[in-house]
Amino acid sequence: MSCLALLFEWLDRKFVAKLQNRVGPKYTGPFGMLQPLADLVKLLSKEDIIPEGTKTFLFNICPVAAVLLLFIANSFVPTVHVEGVLKAEGDLIIILVIITLYLLTIYMAGSAAPSRYSLMGAARAAVMLLGFELPLMFSSLSVGFAAGGFELSKIVAKQFERPFIAGPHLIGFAIFLIAAQAELEKIPFDIPEAETEIVSGWLVELSSWRLAFFRFSKDLELVLLSGLATALYLGGPIGPVIPGLEVLLYPLYFLAKSISVLFLLSLLSTLFARIRLDQFIRLCWRYLIPLTLAYFLAMMWVV
Amino acid sequence: MRMLRDVLWNLFKGRATVMYPEERGSPPDNFRGRLGFNRDECIGCGLCHRVCPASAIEMENDGRGARPVFHIERCIYCYLCIEVCPTKAIKPGKEYAVVTSRKSDLVVR
Amino acid sequence: MGVYIPVGPQHPIHPEAILLKLKVEGEQVVDADVDSSFVHRGIEKALEHKTWLQGLYLVERVCGICNVAHSTCYTLNVENLLGVEAPTRAQYLRLVVEELARIHSHMLWLGLLAHLIGFQSLFMLVFRDREKVLDLMEELTGNRITTAYNVVGGVRRDIDPALEHRVRSTLEELRGRVKRYRKLIEEDPSVRARTVNVGILERSEAEELHAVGPVARASGIKYDVRADDPYLVHDEVPFNVVTLETCDAWGRAMVRVEEVLESIDMIMYSLDHIPSGPIRKRVPPVFKVPPGEGIARVEAPRGELFHYAKSDGSERPYRYRMRTPTLANLAALVYMLRRGDRAVYVADVPVIFGSIDPCICCTARVFVLDERGSRVLNLEDLGRSRGR
Repeated sequence: MSCLALLFEWLDRKFVAKLQNRVGPKYTGPFGMLQPLADLVKLLSKEDIIPEGTKTFLFNICPVAAVLLLFIANSFVPTVHVEGVLKAEGDLIIILVIITLYLLTIYMAGSAAPSRYSLMGAARAAVMLLGFELPLMFSSLSVGFAAGGFELSKIVAKQFERPFIAGPHLIGFAIFLIAAQAELEKIPFDIPEAETEIVSGWLVELSSWRLAFFRFSKDLELVLLSGLATALYLGGPIGPVIPGLEVLLYPLYFLAKSISVLFLLSLLSTLFARIRLDQFIRLCWRYLIPLTLAYFLAMMWVV
Repeated sequence: MRMLRDVLWNLFKGRATVMYPEERGSPPDNFRGRLGFNRDECIGCGLCHRVCPASAIEMENDGRGARPVFHIERCIYCYLCIEVCPTKAIKPGKEYAVVTSRKSDLVVR
Repeated sequence: MGVYIPVGPQHPIHPEAILLKLKVEGEQVVDADVDSSFVHRGIEKALEHKTWLQGLYLVERVCGICNVAHSTCYTLNVENLLGVEAPTRAQYLRLVVEELARIHSHMLWLGLLAHLIGFQSLFMLVFRDREKVLDLMEELTGNRITTAYNVVGGVRRDIDPALEHRVRSTLEELRGRVKRYRKLIEEDPSVRARTVNVGILERSEAEELHAVGPVARASGIKYDVRADDPYLVHDEVPFNVVTLETCDAWGRAMVRVEEVLESIDMIMYSLDHIPSGPIRKRVPPVFKVPPGEGIARVEAPRGELFHYAKSDGSERPYRYRMRTPTLANLAALVYMLRRGDRAVYVADVPVIFGSIDPCICCTARVFVLDERGSRVLNLEDLGRSRGR
């Protein structure tokens, strides 16, 4: 899973670089594939700085919590089989809760540091949550309703003949992508980080292993969200197979599908300028949330 | 969404990046790079020393008379010295990567 | 109430050292002040110790991006004092290089704006295309940025037909790209969302605050030194002074993009109509300038650039003074940041700041006005504060 996270970061960087007529990571490993790992190792070796006046406990616990939470969430995502590594009753809801909890760790890490930039970043992250959480939840839950259960395995199994994206769920997929983009703090919605405005927002006081953990957690989140989109809308790891070769083909299908989702997310991040916080909230409440609710109610009605 | 066409088009284009240490473009003929100096042609008039805006040229006596010494690390590549040199003893050059770890490499005599 | 947020002197908003002191309530800016005294380099004082010709190369280094404007202004000033006029061909060549510099400066700015609003793709693509202009500069003048092209009495290098052809074809290609970017800025919803109605500076306010350059022109003031006080062959080369009435950051972006297109046309026209003849009048490397005072004005990419020289008859200036466009626009910047009648969000600060195309190393040269204490810090004070 960790390898997958690093691979996804590399793919994201390489693809965006290609879209922008650049090269991207190149020197570490074949085609620069080890660059994310090298970045992590380098960050881990950096001097550990805790600014004066920091709430040290929160500051230390948040990065660890973030990584752990996302590991747990990722374990539920079906990758090599219809079921994930972990399986529980209603694991879709567990994942959604974890995504919210993860944002809480961001908020707490940002507000634990005394810097005004990080405080502003944390506040922005919290405000953004108001905007994109409902679309994220409802677009995923609608799929659950359509599948008749909130277990990812059930949802995936339901798509044996036809993935959900073919049909009315295309809107849900689009909504999910936009919300995921906001959740990942990728470009049109990188408001809490906003390098040119508040330096790096909530990340600014993090250093050494804390920064490494948070960056790694972002990669894990990338895997989680593209994996989740795959499971919810693209039929997870299933696809046409030659009997007996499922073990081999299913992971490949999963990779292909989730990487396509990743590419969509990366493409989205090259198309726009970062919008302002108030504009983001307006966008969400004026267009995205009504659309989500309409979609959700329509799904309920159909079911 | 206007950007969509441009970025997708880039998928099929080569990179714009020049992978610098491996591929080095050659500068145009007019390029002002590290200058060269032919001591034998010099008559020691000291004009270059007087015009240099960056005081990168020192005069040094080598027995035959005062001869200029060029300190490339101070040079601003304006080529004023080349322009004023009456015997064309100072030569234009095209080398642009003049970084070195030995300061003596940067002295042209 | 409100929190004080320092933006600078080290901040990703701008590579140069400037401090914007923002007072922020939530996401809104309620007060702002600016301190640009971090990069004083004492260039004007140093000029007094250089000969007139050596000074030219120092003046070029006041600012990397507008070095052509600075050297044009300096040579015009010295030529005026000397009573020498550059040959017509040299003036055409100066104009070509000046407009090339304008193109690359405006494209740099456009990329910077894209970066400031987080539009990384536009940033990358604009910089990719700007590189071609720099290559042209390199071929024509011998260097990418510090051109050392102008010299008292003319220019140093002639343009040959092969190079002329390359300039034409590159610019033709560039025109297409710039038109594409113009369309993008005009229509892209996210760019519009970030720039339209941001950093409003009404016409009357721009006049009152003496804004110059694209900032003034985007507020509807038709003022361009090239048109109002032609200093090269601007009266022979036709061009439009681009003005817009939008008075916002978007307007400033559009004015600059349109000016790039105008500059391309000007270069094409100049190359068509350039007369043959000498490119330089010989002036000895060390010369004396008759006593007197002189001024010169040039339309730098960022606005009006003003040089003043005083000679006491020796081979060195007695006093040299420059007023750069950014200094003229700083007052407008502070006004835009703290105007009470419109909400200014923290996210707008980079856009407003970027929209005046600030160049700090030009600006912080001789003295610093301390607005609150109304105290003028002079060279000596600066030296003292450094020594502390």
